[in-house]
Amino acid sequence: MKRILSGVLAGAMLLALCACGGDSSAPAETTAAGTDAPAETTPAEASTELNIYMWQQYISDELIANFEEENNCTVNLSYMSDNADAITKLTAGGGQEYDLIMTCDAYMESLIAGGYVEKLDLTQIPNSSNINEAYWTAKDYCVPYLMNYIYIVYNTETCPIDITCYNDLIDPALKGQISTIDGARNLFPIALIALGYDPNSTEESEIAEAYEWLVKFNENVVAYGAAEQNLTNGTASVALTYDGNTSWAMSEMGENNTLVVADPFDDAVQLGFDLYVIPTGAQHTDLAYKFLNYICDPEAMAKNLEEYPYSCPNDAAVAAAPESYRNDPARNFSYKENVFFQEDVGEALTIYNDYYQKLKVGQ
Amino acid sequence: MSTRINDTTDLQAISRKRDLRRKTLPALAQAGPVSVWMILFVTIPMLYIIYISFMSRGVFGDVVYEFSLESYQTLLDATYFKVILKSLQVALFTTVLCLLLGYPFAYYIARKPPEKASRLIMLIMIPFWTNSLMRLNSWLLLFQTSGPINNFLQWAGITDAPITFVYTDGLVVLGMITNMLPFAVLPLYSSIEKLQKSLLEASSDLGATPRETFFRVTLPLTFPGIFSAVILVFIPSLGIYTVSDMLGGGKVLYIGNIIKNQFGSIRNWPLGAALSVLLLVITGALIFLYTRFSKLEDMEVV
Repeated sequence: MKRILSGVLAGAMLLALCACGGDSSAPAETTAAGTDAPAETTPAEASTELNIYMWQQYISDELIANFEEENNCTVNLSYMSDNADAITKLTAGGGQEYDLIMTCDAYMESLIAGGYVEKLDLTQIPNSSNINEAYWTAKDYCVPYLMNYIYIVYNTETCPIDITCYNDLIDPALKGQISTIDGARNLFPIALIALGYDPNSTEESEIAEAYEWLVKFNENVVAYGAAEQNLTNGTASVALTYDGNTSWAMSEMGENNTLVVADPFDDAVQLGFDLYVIPTGAQHTDLAYKFLNYICDPEAMAKNLEEYPYSCPNDAAVAAAPESYRNDPARNFSYKENVFFQEDVGEALTIYNDYYQKLKVGQ
Repeated sequence: MSTRINDTTDLQAISRKRDLRRKTLPALAQAGPVSVWMILFVTIPMLYIIYISFMSRGVFGDVVYEFSLESYQTLLDATYFKVILKSLQVALFTTVLCLLLGYPFAYYIARKPPEKASRLIMLIMIPFWTNSLMRLNSWLLLFQTSGPINNFLQWAGITDAPITFVYTDGLVVLGMITNMLPFAVLPLYSSIEKLQKSLLEASSDLGATPRETFFRVTLPLTFPGIFSAVILVFIPSLGIYTVSDMLGGGKVLYIGNIIKNQFGSIRNWPLGAALSVLLLVITGALIFLYTRFSKLEDMEVV
């Protein structure tokens, strides 16, 4: 009997070990590639390997496969679980293991100042002319990939009120109804705007007031994250989420869709960009440039948009995208110009984080 | 004279050699790999955690290697005290429920013939063949507002409107229990299995009711199993964060979630490390107390 027991336990441990091994093997591979590379890469020789660090479920497998075939190379994708991961890779070392890293507009200023990203030679990315200049911050250092509006969606059948501004979100009628995105720098700007302050405020007194607002908001929140699921399965009637996720939720509901984007809406909504940078000291910059040029290609990007229906700063790609993408109700709202961006708040970041912590702990 | 001294030193040398071959080498071979493993993957990381808990944090969440007690001062804030208290409560609740559910079940298995028993043990392990995140997700799907359980309740006329199960403390506890139950059943089973039937027979022959037999013979004799079950369930439930993260919707926070957030989105590693040290101290203190108040010579972990 003992033997069976110990066998079962040993089996369980072995499984756990295998699971660990499976997880760790991918980074190990990329590390090996990174250290091998300097010996081979002379400018004359083309690289055969491209290492990208980005969000999971955010680029079409087909696009990657086509790029690999055209350039006779292998693309290694590694995934982050938080924006902070990418920043850690870039600033704390290990960035040069990758040739392209995805980050967002809010961090660009400090990344450039710290010399963590390579200056781009845009003549090597001719397709980048398709990108709308209005959506291109830090133009010499990054190529925008997709963008996200963070706005309010609600279910017309189950939501008890009409929502036209952020202050509606703290209406007691919505108790336990809201599914929202998470993160200090996503939540606080909403509260700051509702209170009439700068969304990127660095004043502690204003942030403290925003915290009080968010405490009321928190009463109405049913869950942080997984907004599209909570909307479609009826757990939440309101969501503060990205347009890409809304698009998924709406198509999931299909014919019976009762979700609408809050419109008209009086307050500014957050617009964020996910963009690619080449980390300082990257090994395969030649392929990185080819990849950046490839994702700016209208045809390639249009196909990608079909699979990942997010807003896109590439005007030519949007024009080439199928009808279903261009008429997506998730992107059909009237205040696309009334947006604000996340900015670098410097030292005030710790104030935000401390109040965010207090918000999440104090219940 | 001198030769005799030489003789004894020779003898000592020989016996030392023999000791080395007989005792030290086998001991090294047996405990060596585990010691290396433990030093590499437990001791060193733990020392590093203690070390960075005394460092300061940088603006972008990097660790600044400057001595500071800031993290420990932050811990004095009442909010952390509340979270720790809440986590202890939930861990205790989970442990008690696991024991109450696990003991009768382990007892039932232990009374079965070995072949049947091994099959029943397998049944407990089968859910563990899938990833725990997968299992948690399936709980979400089952209990969500338009999920099968709510549909059934409405169909059967038990409720009119769907009940909100997901993202509540109740579902979190349910998830904890399903995750932890095997860790209670296995040690309980192994100690109940060893219980000699003759003792129980003797007890009833001497006039004890089944109830008395259970409380005065069975329970004390299986105490080592209960002790290991408590340790194996309580400590992981205190630190686990995936269950409350997924089933609590990021609203139900325990100490494990707070620590995870410090290393993740909030990016205050020194505070996260200080919280981890605090968790270590709490579990250490609990084990110490327990060993003090219980006869530990018969403690046993399967």
